[in-house]
Amino acid sequence: MKKHLIRRFFQTFLVLLGVSIVTFAILHLTGDPTALLLPQEATAEDRARFRHEMGFDDPLIVQYGRFLKGALRGDFGLSFRHNQPALQLVWDRMPATVQLTLAAMLISVSIAVPIGILSAVKRNSLLDHVGMVIALLGQSMPVFWLGIMLILVFGVKLRLLPAFGMGGIDHLILPALTLGMFTMARTARLTRSEMLEILGQEYIRTARAKGVPPWSVILRHALKNAAIPIVTVIGLEMGTLLGGAIITETIFAWPGVGRLTVQAIYNRDFPVVQAAVFTLACIFVLINFVVDILYTYLDPRVRYE
Amino acid sequence: MKKSPFLLGILLTLTLNLSLTSAEPQGQVVVAQGVDPSTLDPHNHQETPAFNVLLNMFDTLLHRTPDLKIEPLLAESYKLIDNKTWEFKLRRGIKFHNGEDFNAEAVKFSLERIANPENKMKQLSSLKFLDHVEIIDEYTVHIITKEPFAPLPAFLCLYGSMVPPKYVKEKGDTYIATHPVGTGAFKFVKWTKDDQLVMEANPSYFRGTPSVKTVIFRPIPEATTRVAALLTGDVDIITNVPPNLVPQIEGSGQAFISTAPSVRVIFVGIDTLHGGPVADKRVRQALNYAVDVDSLIKNVLEGHGFRVATPLTKDHFGYNPDIQPYPFDPDKAKKLLAEAGYPHGFDLILNSPDGRYLNDKQIAEAIAGQWQKVGIRAQVKTHEWGNYVNMMYTHKPGPVYLLGWGNSTYDADNTYFPLLHTGELLSNYSNPEFDKLIEEARITMDENKRRELYHKAAELIVEDAAWVFLYQQEDIYGVNNRLNWKARPDEGLVMVDVTLKK
Repeated sequence: MKKHLIRRFFQTFLVLLGVSIVTFAILHLTGDPTALLLPQEATAEDRARFRHEMGFDDPLIVQYGRFLKGALRGDFGLSFRHNQPALQLVWDRMPATVQLTLAAMLISVSIAVPIGILSAVKRNSLLDHVGMVIALLGQSMPVFWLGIMLILVFGVKLRLLPAFGMGGIDHLILPALTLGMFTMARTARLTRSEMLEILGQEYIRTARAKGVPPWSVILRHALKNAAIPIVTVIGLEMGTLLGGAIITETIFAWPGVGRLTVQAIYNRDFPVVQAAVFTLACIFVLINFVVDILYTYLDPRVRYE
Repeated sequence: MKKSPFLLGILLTLTLNLSLTSAEPQGQVVVAQGVDPSTLDPHNHQETPAFNVLLNMFDTLLHRTPDLKIEPLLAESYKLIDNKTWEFKLRRGIKFHNGEDFNAEAVKFSLERIANPENKMKQLSSLKFLDHVEIIDEYTVHIITKEPFAPLPAFLCLYGSMVPPKYVKEKGDTYIATHPVGTGAFKFVKWTKDDQLVMEANPSYFRGTPSVKTVIFRPIPEATTRVAALLTGDVDIITNVPPNLVPQIEGSGQAFISTAPSVRVIFVGIDTLHGGPVADKRVRQALNYAVDVDSLIKNVLEGHGFRVATPLTKDHFGYNPDIQPYPFDPDKAKKLLAEAGYPHGFDLILNSPDGRYLNDKQIAEAIAGQWQKVGIRAQVKTHEWGNYVNMMYTHKPGPVYLLGWGNSTYDADNTYFPLLHTGELLSNYSNPEFDKLIEEARITMDENKRRELYHKAAELIVEDAAWVFLYQQEDIYGVNNRLNWKARPDEGLVMVDVTLKK
C-alpha cells in the first residue's frame, strides 16, 4: 500500500507537470495579451514597454521556466487584469464552486441511483420507460438551454425560486439542478445497466433461492457489486461538474471559479487561467485518488501491493 | 384671533422636520451590468463597467451633463492661460469620504499619480499629454501639458478621478483597489467580487444629497438572466438588453425600455496600404454604394441603430452635419467596379469579430451578401475577440474588416488620430492632406477654427471612401417602473440622478 501511495504521488506529479505544459502552451498559442490589456489609445511604444515589463518578449521556454518556478511555490503571479495574486483570486471563488458542485452531485446521485435501481428491478415496466426517457432527455438537453428554461419557469413565471446569484439554499436549487442534470442522467442509465447485468448473475438467483429478503438482495448483493463502475463514473463526473460549472455559473451569475476562468480566458489573463486550471487539476487528481482507495473497500480483490 | 408664538414655533419646527425627512435618502436601487469592475482604483482600469461604478464614488474636475455639455464639477471654473497652461479654480469646502480636504494638493497628486509611468496605472496612456501640475494656491492649479492639447477638457471629464493623497500614500495601491475613497455622491460599503458592490448615499455631497440611500451593482453576464432578474424585480436597471428581448420587457408591465444613441460607431475598415482592388478609390466607393445600411439597421439590429455618414456621431466635437451618407445604389457600384477594371467583381474576405458588438457576425454576413449582389465575391471570416484585436494592432486586419470605435472623450481627435492618421496604431490608411488637417486641429486652441479643420478632414475621407461608413449603435436599458431614470448617451450609470416614484 505504501509503495502504491509513493507511486501514485509520483504519477500525480507527472500529471500536474503535463497539465502545466499543456495549459501554458495552449494559452500562449492564443496570442499576446498586450492588445487586450492596454487601452485603445496606447501607442506602439506603450505596447513595447508593456510587453517588456511583463516579460512577453522573452523566449517561450524562459517564460515557462519563470512560470514553473513560481507555481512550485504556489505563486502564479499577479493577475494582469485585477492586479492581485492570481491564486488568491481563484481561492476566493473556490467555496462558491465547491458548494455548487457538491449540491449538483448530491441532487444527481440521490435521484439517479434510485431511478436506476427501480428501472432495473422493474425492467420494461412503465416506471422503467419513464425513468429512461427522463434520463435520455437529461443527457441531451444543452446546459445552457436548460438553465435559461429553469430561470424562466421557476424564477420569472412561478416566482418560486431566485433567478440568479448566490444567497441561501434556495439560490442553490436551480443552478445545482442545471449543473447536475447531465450527471444525473448518465448515472441513472449506468446504474440501470450495471444492476441489470448483476441481477442476471447466478449468485443472485442463489441468494433469492436461499430466502434472502428481496430488498437485501438488491441493495447488499447486487448494488454493492454494481457500485464499482458507478463510483468510478461519479468520481470522473466530479471533474465534469467542476468544468461544467463554467456555463452554469455564467448563466446564474454565480460567483465561482468557472466564471472567473472564462473571463480570464477572454482577457488573456494568463496567471489567473493557469492558477485556476492548476487548482482544478489538483482537485481532480485528488478525487481520483480517493476513488482508487474506495475500490479496495468495495472490492476486496483490488489490492495494491 | 391671536396666535400664540409658542404654537407657531411648534408648527414651524414640524414643517422644518418634515421637509428634512423628505430630503433624507431612501430605498435601494440594484443595477446589473454584464461584468464586474476589475478594480475599484479609479486610475487603474480602462473599462466601461468600472467607469460606471466608480463615477458614483469619485468625481473628476469636469463632467458632462446628460446632454453631453462639458461642465465644471470639482472645478469651479477653468481657462486657458497660454497654449500649454490651463488654470483650474477649485470648489471649496469639499471633503473626501474619509474627511480629508479636497484641494490643489489632491489635484496634483491624483493627476500625477496617473501620468507617472512608474506607477504603471492603466490610464497612463490617456494622460500622456500631461507634463505636470503646479499648485498656485490651495484652490488654484495650473495643468501644464507637454504640447498644446486642445481636447484637454474632454479628457478631464472622463479621466483624473480625485483621490485623497494621504489615504492613498498610507494604504498603498493594493489596498485602495478594494477600498475606494472619493468625493462622490455615494460612499463605498462593501464589495464581494463577481457578486455585489454596495454603496451608500453621501449625505454631505456637494451637489446635494442623493435621493436613493443604497445602490448595489451586481454583475450578471448572461443577457437572458439579466432580463429575468429585471422582470422578477430583483434588479432595477439592466444594461445591454438584446433587441429581441425588448418586447418581453415592454409587455411585462413591470419595467420599461430606455434607449440612448451609443458612443460607438460601427464601420468596415479598409486596408488601403497593401494593394489589391481596395487600394483603388473607385472600388472603395463601390463598396459604400453597394451596402444598404438602412436595411441592416432595420433587419439585423431591429431598428436599434442610427445611420452615420462619417466616423463621428452628431454628439462628437468636429462632426460635420453637411455630409450626406453614401446612398444605396447598386448600379452605380457596378459601374464604378467596371471603371476600376473589375467588371466581373473579385474575391474579398471580410473579417469580423463574433460576439463583440451587437449582432456583429450577422451584420458582416448581410454586408457580404449585399456585396455579392454587385458581383464582389465576398466571404465572411469571424474571429474570437482576443485574436481579432491582435490582428488589428499588428496591422494585419485583412483587406476589409468590421470594427467598432467608442470615442468617449467626444472629441474628433480621439477618432481621427488613432484610426486614420498615417502610421498610427489602428490606421491602415494614409492621406497626407488629411494628416495635416488633424495635426493642425490638435494644436489649434480656437474652437471654431478647430471645428472647421475637422469638417474639412471629414469631407476628405468620405470622398476618398476611407471606410465603408455604417451606423451608430443604440444602447438599450431595461428599467423597473418604480424608478425615474433615463439612459445617457455616454453610457454613464449616474445614480445621483435616480429618484424613486412614490
